[in-house]
Amino acid sequence: MLFVTVFFIIPLAMTLFMSFHDWPLIGEQSWIGTTNYTELAKDRQYLKSLDFTFRYTLLVTPPIFILGFILASLVRHNIRFIGIFRTIFFLPVVIGLGVSSLLWVWMLDQRVGIFNKILLDLHLIEKPQLFLAKPTTAMNVIILSVVWKTVGFTMILLLAGLQSIPDELYESADVDGAGYFRKLLYITLPLMRRTIALALILSVIGSVLAFDQFYIITRGGPRNSTISIVYWIFNNSFTYWKMGYGSAISIVLLGILVTLSSIQYYVLRERY
Amino acid sequence: MTPRRIVFAVLIMALFIGALPLSAQDEDVTMTMWVRNIGTQVQELIDAWNARGGSQIELTVIPPNEFVTKMGAAIAAGESPDIASIDLIYAPAFAAAGQLLDITDWVDALSYADDLLPAHSELGTYQGRKYAVPFLIEGSFIIYNKGLFEAAGLDPEVPPSTWDELLEAARAISAIDDETYGYYFAGACAGCNAFTYLPFIWASGGDVLSDDYSEATIATDPIVREALEFYRLMWEEGLIPEGASIDDGSSFVSAFGTGTIGMAGTGAFGINTYRNDHPELNLGAFHIPGKDGGAASFGGGDVIAIGSGTQHPEEAWEFLEWMMSEETQLELYAARNRTTVRVSMLENEYSAGDDLVLTAASALAVGHSPYSLVYNDLFNDPNGPWLEMIQIAILDGDIDGALQLGQDRFTQIMSG
Repeated sequence: MLFVTVFFIIPLAMTLFMSFHDWPLIGEQSWIGTTNYTELAKDRQYLKSLDFTFRYTLLVTPPIFILGFILASLVRHNIRFIGIFRTIFFLPVVIGLGVSSLLWVWMLDQRVGIFNKILLDLHLIEKPQLFLAKPTTAMNVIILSVVWKTVGFTMILLLAGLQSIPDELYESADVDGAGYFRKLLYITLPLMRRTIALALILSVIGSVLAFDQFYIITRGGPRNSTISIVYWIFNNSFTYWKMGYGSAISIVLLGILVTLSSIQYYVLRERY
Repeated sequence: MTPRRIVFAVLIMALFIGALPLSAQDEDVTMTMWVRNIGTQVQELIDAWNARGGSQIELTVIPPNEFVTKMGAAIAAGESPDIASIDLIYAPAFAAAGQLLDITDWVDALSYADDLLPAHSELGTYQGRKYAVPFLIEGSFIIYNKGLFEAAGLDPEVPPSTWDELLEAARAISAIDDETYGYYFAGACAGCNAFTYLPFIWASGGDVLSDDYSEATIATDPIVREALEFYRLMWEEGLIPEGASIDDGSSFVSAFGTGTIGMAGTGAFGINTYRNDHPELNLGAFHIPGKDGGAASFGGGDVIAIGSGTQHPEEAWEFLEWMMSEETQLELYAARNRTTVRVSMLENEYSAGDDLVLTAASALAVGHSPYSLVYNDLFNDPNGPWLEMIQIAILDGDIDGALQLGQDRFTQIMSG
């Protein structure tokens, strides 16, 4: 309880308090009521960032989940050397997101990047590509980097769910002549409902709160097309020194996340 | 020994004992200083200062893009440095927030107070009080590769003086081969383009802000449009390498060093870099030209200030005074190809006959620096309106859209 109070309740109360103030990073603060919240509706970049963050979340969640499920299925059984594969798939998760983003900056580089080298060697391109120059390709490479970075975590979550299903159920289904997809549809997915809910909720929360990869790989570009909502909170709070306004966006974002998670939880709840 | 002598002896001893810690304390003073990472100059200065003995300075070098953020956060946390070398355009904002020590009396007492560079001194002044003095002096200009000028059939001793001449030179150099380009700019670097692109507008009599810096003139000043069309033309014709579009400033200096670029904007910081790292390049320099002639420069660099929370204001001022002294300016600035902070020393025994150093110094004569408390939000922010406008106009070709966007976002930010 003490932990929750110190690291959640007090910071949350402080953020809420700050959101009703004109609170510059340096200098005097003053009470302005709900002005920060009413300003949000007029903030073009805030709306753009919200839209971008939701699009990003919609695009990145399915590949993380589907690939995570496929990998979990592949490494489910305890056969020889399977630990090596589990480790390889999980390895990117233990790298910090900042470090992995820097790694991708290097890999995507026009002059020394490995992607251009491979594509040139395979004669798939005629000259080095600027992956970060266009909004679409920038978004795609970010999604690729995040899937690579986080799929191992989803795999581990789903693996735990898969392994908790008793083998006898599959054996009975085999006796009844059920194929792979029938078993998937009528045994695996229903019994993994809780695990799937957890994996999806965590994945969606992570995507809505995405920051590092945009700050490091694209710096919000090109043409400010990859500024996520957390990036916009950071910019307002620390670049423009408007801590009060940044706090107001944070509070709104918290509300959005609670709503999203509740919907997901409701849809994926156990039904008896 | 009589009691009086004993008392006298004890008093004398007490004086010595009391004095010892004071002197030791003076020796032990270590001040913190923050600087953005713009070369080795500051480290050399600090090394020379520390080698003198007495108070010491511990230098913290911060990536340029993060300086304002970190400084703001440190101030908010009550951990600001004793001395800070601040990008001059941020000085008014820090002074307005009450985070810099008022050094008016100390500065006014200097015999050479009027000799300090005026543009930098002005930005170190807030509401008539002085908070900072010039420290690192940068005036933007264009550096050019004389070898490529020659290879393109141009006279390497006659650099362009108008936009048309620059365009023609860029075309001729780009025609040498597919790997050679006439011009370079960092297309994803906000600050670089304030430093090297704004002067094209100023030199032609235009501006993006009104004279009193109270409103944006992007959509109303025809020169702004013409300047965007000028760069757009160079981009469209392929006179600028494609990679420039994603250069966030990390290749701002190094691109020209490859020897495949004819001309590029730079500052005094580029001189030593190019000379040391690329001695094979035959370099020339010229002022950033206006459309039909004239010249302008961005008076940039850093001013140096003392944090209002310092425990060592006298020692900090002692360092500032030493830095501005004639000897330091001559031996640690001029002798190392750096622009001095004193007007009367801009031309000196070391700069005589050195075209690059003289161009860098004389650029300050046509130097200009916008005075705005929201400079960062307008010009330097990588997600700010200045860079977005440049990218939409020059890289995408939507000049009308860019001008409108720039005008709207500038106005929104300036209206608070």
